[in-house]
Amino acid sequence: MAAPSMAAALAASLPAPSATPATPQPKYEAIPASMAKVIDIEAEIPLTNVQLDGMVVSKIIKHAREAPSTTAHGLLLGLDLDGTLEVSNSFPLPYHAHDDDEKSAKTIARHQAAMLRSLKEVQADDSVVGFYQATTLGAFFNQTLVDTQAIHQEKLRHGGVVIVHDISQTARGNASFRAYRLTAAFMDAYKKSNFNTASLINHRLTFSSILEEVPLKIRTNPLLSSFLGTLTKSIPSPVADAGPNEAYEAAVGPSYSALDLGTGGVTRNLEQIVEAVDAYRAEDGNVSYLIRQIARERAKADNYIAKRKEENQARIAQGLAPLPEEDVSRLFKIPAEPSRLESLLLLGQIDAYAKSLGDTARHESGKNVRGESERRDLI
Amino acid sequence: MVLFRPSFTCITTLAVVPYSRIPQSVTIHPVALFTILDHYLRRTDQQDRVIGTLLGRRTDNGVEIRSAFAVLHSETDEQVAVDMEYHRTMYELHHKVNAKEVIVGWYSTGSNLNTYSALIQNFYSLETAPHPAVHITLNTGLVEGEEAGVKAYVSSPVGVTPKAENCVFVPVPVELRLHDAERSGFDLLVDASKSSSSTTAQPVPDLEVLETAIQNVSSMLDRVLAYVQSVLRGETKGDPAIGRYLMDTLGTSVGVGEEVGGFSGSLQDTLMVSYLASLVRSQAEVSARLALTTGSSS
Repeated sequence: MAAPSMAAALAASLPAPSATPATPQPKYEAIPASMAKVIDIEAEIPLTNVQLDGMVVSKIIKHAREAPSTTAHGLLLGLDLDGTLEVSNSFPLPYHAHDDDEKSAKTIARHQAAMLRSLKEVQADDSVVGFYQATTLGAFFNQTLVDTQAIHQEKLRHGGVVIVHDISQTARGNASFRAYRLTAAFMDAYKKSNFNTASLINHRLTFSSILEEVPLKIRTNPLLSSFLGTLTKSIPSPVADAGPNEAYEAAVGPSYSALDLGTGGVTRNLEQIVEAVDAYRAEDGNVSYLIRQIARERAKADNYIAKRKEENQARIAQGLAPLPEEDVSRLFKIPAEPSRLESLLLLGQIDAYAKSLGDTARHESGKNVRGESERRDLI
Repeated sequence: MVLFRPSFTCITTLAVVPYSRIPQSVTIHPVALFTILDHYLRRTDQQDRVIGTLLGRRTDNGVEIRSAFAVLHSETDEQVAVDMEYHRTMYELHHKVNAKEVIVGWYSTGSNLNTYSALIQNFYSLETAPHPAVHITLNTGLVEGEEAGVKAYVSSPVGVTPKAENCVFVPVPVELRLHDAERSGFDLLVDASKSSSSTTAQPVPDLEVLETAIQNVSSMLDRVLAYVQSVLRGETKGDPAIGRYLMDTLGTSVGVGEEVGGFSGSLQDTLMVSYLASLVRSQAEVSARLALTTGSSS
């Protein structure tokens, strides 16, 4: 499917032979037939999955760990090939908490441009394919993420992806990375910046249909694989009476953080659910206040029209000229219907917190059952 | 910028130089290693080795290398050049994001130290002054007969009148340091590298991770049990050291009777939490759906 369009594109890029017959044709490296199917110049092959390089995994984890709370975000660099988006590099973006928006946006743009230029000089990939965002307890829905991704989806080839990294799950011993894109329905509503009830119904938007997940794979290149193999290989220690920790020398020993019985995270998770629910209630209050106000204004306007009509009928009956029916919208200001986006995102957050709480609970109960049986064995 | 035209060769010895500020140990995080490997993969055909700057923090008696970035350089028989401007720009970019990380030294791939290494080391010493610069050599293990590995060095001047192109590289112990979060990422990569396609699908369910960990422990217990039984049968000669360690380990385990009801009690709690979580989720779902229906009826 890509072949004809590619041929057309190649033909377009070549100078027309009839116009300059004398000058030698510039030589273009032909794309081998085996690759013709997988290279698409026009970005026509849709993305089906994302492949994350080992280095990017460690870079994101490092940044997420060092940055305060969930402020860590950065850009992903890479290429797409035959429907697979290969993310091969990333770099963190500076975080400005208190600067005014315009200034910080400019600094970030400058930073980004300088970094891309520098990376290109050392043969690294320099095309932006998306961004990453650190999160805790799975709740990554927020206005900034949606805004950034919406801009990316407009501007980047293939729309780009956002990779979400969950710090709290990683601390529990299971590093988690997920790739998302905004759904077409949401993008449509976003472009019209219309999130009132009718638009939500038209687009069938609930919090679960804002983002669609793209399958993500982690890949280690052969060099990294072999190096990891060397690091994890255990060699008997040359020291004769070494302790069990040193008896086998591997640069990295086995890890058991998954078996930690501590349940400290649950309390925090519950607190966050409560906070999110509170925020939702507040937002809900705002929305219903606005809706009540709309209803009040509309009732006033309707009353006015009805009264005017009655008056006109009376005047016609008396043989007088009817009064003009004025434009009510000028007399009564009916506020616009409130945007439901904020409450939608908050609901998504509540759902994500609850989901992560449920996962934790399942995990804990698994450990508890195991611990119970171990204890019985000991007795 | 061209650093120097060499005329001497460098000496590598194991001499310990009494120098107060010399770091006693070097710890390195996986990010830095992976960045170096990636840089090596992306080198041009003309490059035998690649170099770059190491960023990190200084502790009381050691250096912690937390990240790295590639730097352009060229080496010929006659001269070596390092793009200092590039190095400065990249450092400033990194510094903006993480102000705590400073230049601590430089890396190169391959394990030979030559005159050029001494010259580059001299350049980086100026960058890190007054602290000494650390040099990391990472052998990628691609050359036949050479083991992949990481070595760290600090330099000290040699000769009566020290010259930039002469120095002694003193080895310093180097250690791979992993934080808990980095650890789980590292495990993920190890899993990926072990699978035949060198990829793993994400996300891995928590329970699967737990299962692997439990299987791991269980297989280790089996190994210990097999060893103890073979000692009891008299097939293997018991090692008193191992015996003592086993004794210690069993002594630290949960005391019998101490945790009675503990596990089942906390099991009840977690089941409750699990129930609550699904309740909240269904409420959220219902709320989102209701928002869609109220409009259509009006």
